[in-house]
Amino acid sequence: MTYVIQLVTAFIGSLGFSLLFNVRRDRLFPAAMGGLLAWGVYLLAGLLTPWDVPRFFVSSLALTLYAEIMARVKKSPATVFLVSASIPLIPGGSLYTTMQYAVSAQWEAFSSQGMNTLLLAGAIAGGMLCMMAILHVFHRLYLLLR
Amino acid sequence: MCPHPDQQAVDYANEYLSNALSIGEQMLRSGAEVSRVEDSIRRVCLAYGAERVDVFTITSSIVVTISGKAFGTVTQTRRISGLQFDLRRLERLNELSRLIAERLPPMATVESALERIRSTPSHSFPAQLAIWALVSASFTLFFGGSWRDAIASAIIGVLLKCVDAGLKWLELNSFLAALLCSGFGGLLSFLAVQWGLGDSVEKINIGNIMLLIPGIMLTNSLRDLFNGDTISGLLRFLEAVLLSMTIAAGFVAASVIGG
Repeated sequence: MTYVIQLVTAFIGSLGFSLLFNVRRDRLFPAAMGGLLAWGVYLLAGLLTPWDVPRFFVSSLALTLYAEIMARVKKSPATVFLVSASIPLIPGGSLYTTMQYAVSAQWEAFSSQGMNTLLLAGAIAGGMLCMMAILHVFHRLYLLLR
Repeated sequence: MCPHPDQQAVDYANEYLSNALSIGEQMLRSGAEVSRVEDSIRRVCLAYGAERVDVFTITSSIVVTISGKAFGTVTQTRRISGLQFDLRRLERLNELSRLIAERLPPMATVESALERIRSTPSHSFPAQLAIWALVSASFTLFFGGSWRDAIASAIIGVLLKCVDAGLKWLELNSFLAALLCSGFGGLLSFLAVQWGLGDSVEKINIGNIMLLIPGIMLTNSLRDLFNGDTISGLLRFLEAVLLSMTIAAGFVAASVIGG
C-alpha cells in the first residue's frame, strides 16, 4: 500500500512540476509517467540492494533512457522529460534530515547525512551521463553500420 | 583577416550575432545546460555565414566571437541574470534554432519569432497556487505523511506561494528571501501541528521543501560539471547547495525555535 501511494504521488508530483515548468499540454502525461517510472525502478532495485545510492543510479539510468526515447517519439528536447521524471528522486528528505542535524549541532551525523545527500545527487547526475554516453555510442555505431 | 571589411557585412554579422545571443540567453534562462546553449549559438552563427565561432558560456554571461573573410572579427557579450525554468520556451527556442540552421530566415522573422517566444504565456497566479497545493500535498504523502498532514501541507503551500511572490516583488536578496520564505513555512507547519491540523511537522515540511529547493539546478549543475563545463557547473552547484541549505535550515530552525 505504501508503494502504491508513493507511485501515485510520484506521478502527481511530477505532473505538478511539469505544469509549473510550463510543459506543453500534450507532453504532460508522458512527462509525469516518467516520474512514476523512475520511482518504480527505484522500488524494484530495492529487491537487489537496500542501499539508496545504487538504487538512485539505476533509476536515473532508466529515466534517462525513457526521456531520450520520449524525446524521439514526441520530437522535443530530452530535457523536458528528464527534468520532470527526475522530480521524485530529488533528495529533499535527506537534505531536510541533514539540516535537522545541523540545527541540533550533531556535527558527526550532519556530515555523514550531508555526504549521503551529495552522493544521491551525484548518483542521479551520474546515471543520466552514463545513459547518455551509452546512447551516444549506439548512435555512432548505428551511423557507422548504416 | 581582410584589412578593410565591408561595413554592410559587419552590420549584418552584428545583427545575427545579437539574435544568436538572444536565443542563447533565453535558453540559459529557461534552464538549458551550457553545452546545449553553446551548440545552438554556434549552429546559428555558422548558418548565417560565420567561418569560425568561439562561444564561451558561464551561468551569468555569454561571450561569442565570430570571424569570417567578409566582415573580419566581431565579438559580443551578454550578461545573463535570473533563472526561470520554462520548458515550453526551451522547446520553442530549440525549434527556432533548428529552423534557422535549415532555412536561413531573414532577420526580421527571427526577431519577431524571438519576441513571440519571450511573451509565451505561463499559468495564471491562481492556477499556480492550485499546482503548489497539489505538489506539496503529494510529496507529504510520498514521504510517508498522513492525510491530515497532506491537507495542512497543501494549505501551507498556497500561503508559501503568496509569500514567495511577495518576496520576488520586493526584489530581496535571493538567500534572504529563501530564508524568510522557508522560516515562515516552518513556523506555519509547527502551528498547524499545535492546532491539531496535522500530525507531523517533519512530513509537512518535507512536502513544502520539495517545491522550494533548486533540485533541478543541482542535478543540472552536476551534469555541467561532468560534461567538462567546470566553471558553470561549480557556480551553479555552489548556488544550488547554498540555497537548498538555507531553505532546509529555515524550515528546521523555525520548527526548533517554535518547539
